[in-house]
Amino acid sequence: MRALIIDDSRAMRSILRRIVNGLGFESAEAGDGQQALDVLESGFNPDICLIDWNMPVMDGYTFITKVRDNPEWRSMTLMMVTTESEQKQIVRALAAGAHEYVIKPFTPDAIADKLELLGLRATEVPA
Amino acid sequence: MTALAPELTDLQAVVEEVWSTFVGYEHPLCPRQVPPGTPLDASVWSGAVSVTGEWQGAVTVELADDVAQAISRVMLDLGDAETLADDDVADAVGELVNMIGGNVKSLMPGPSSLSLPAVAAGRAVFPSDAHEVARLDLTWTGEPVRITVHCPGSPR
Repeated sequence: MRALIIDDSRAMRSILRRIVNGLGFESAEAGDGQQALDVLESGFNPDICLIDWNMPVMDGYTFITKVRDNPEWRSMTLMMVTTESEQKQIVRALAAGAHEYVIKPFTPDAIADKLELLGLRATEVPA
Repeated sequence: MTALAPELTDLQAVVEEVWSTFVGYEHPLCPRQVPPGTPLDASVWSGAVSVTGEWQGAVTVELADDVAQAISRVMLDLGDAETLADDDVADAVGELVNMIGGNVKSLMPGPSSLSLPAVAAGRAVFPSDAHEVARLDLTWTGEPVRITVHCPGSPR
């Protein structure tokens, strides 16, 4: 399984990469929504995108709307991972096409549980 | 105008949750008694985010240089032998203040928007119309850590 991690913080991308790689996912990274669209257009086809909301150039909400507007990507699973915790923002992201919503700070188990709920459990990597 | 401030216990809970989740439990954050108005007595890195909307304010994190470097190594998974650049520290401090600020925002009346973080090597300084409404002085591995909430208007 493949995950695309979209966050303007390298520290946060590093944290998420360790979590999803530990769950057996292959991962790619992008520093904003536009870079993420470029990664998708280059042929990386993720099973899930983990998306921050507040990013320069293109935010996570706009990225979701762009993905949902493209028939090729419409079935892609999208999960927001963000500090935005207002109910209105959560509803907005889910209405735009996000499948799940995780509020920072999160534990590795919280990410693993959400992925499992979405039916995205990769094979465990042997220790 | 009286500025609405988060409760100190809530601010402490936010900071401890973010810190323990991303920095770890090995070394606890400890309370530190500092007289009001005292500048942080260390070479520091500062990060700030602002909140605009129903509640307006700014949240700053000031970390002793050693603390900023140590948490950056943890968050970026860099070993002691690996080079840590200033932009690595800026990135990690920025994400730390983003998470603390985002969770402070969730304690306050909404709707509101959170800015992208601004980070600098040095102390955070605010315009004279911004007042400190809540401050946590802590230590981590014996080095100072300060989290401050600033609002326009007079303190509560």
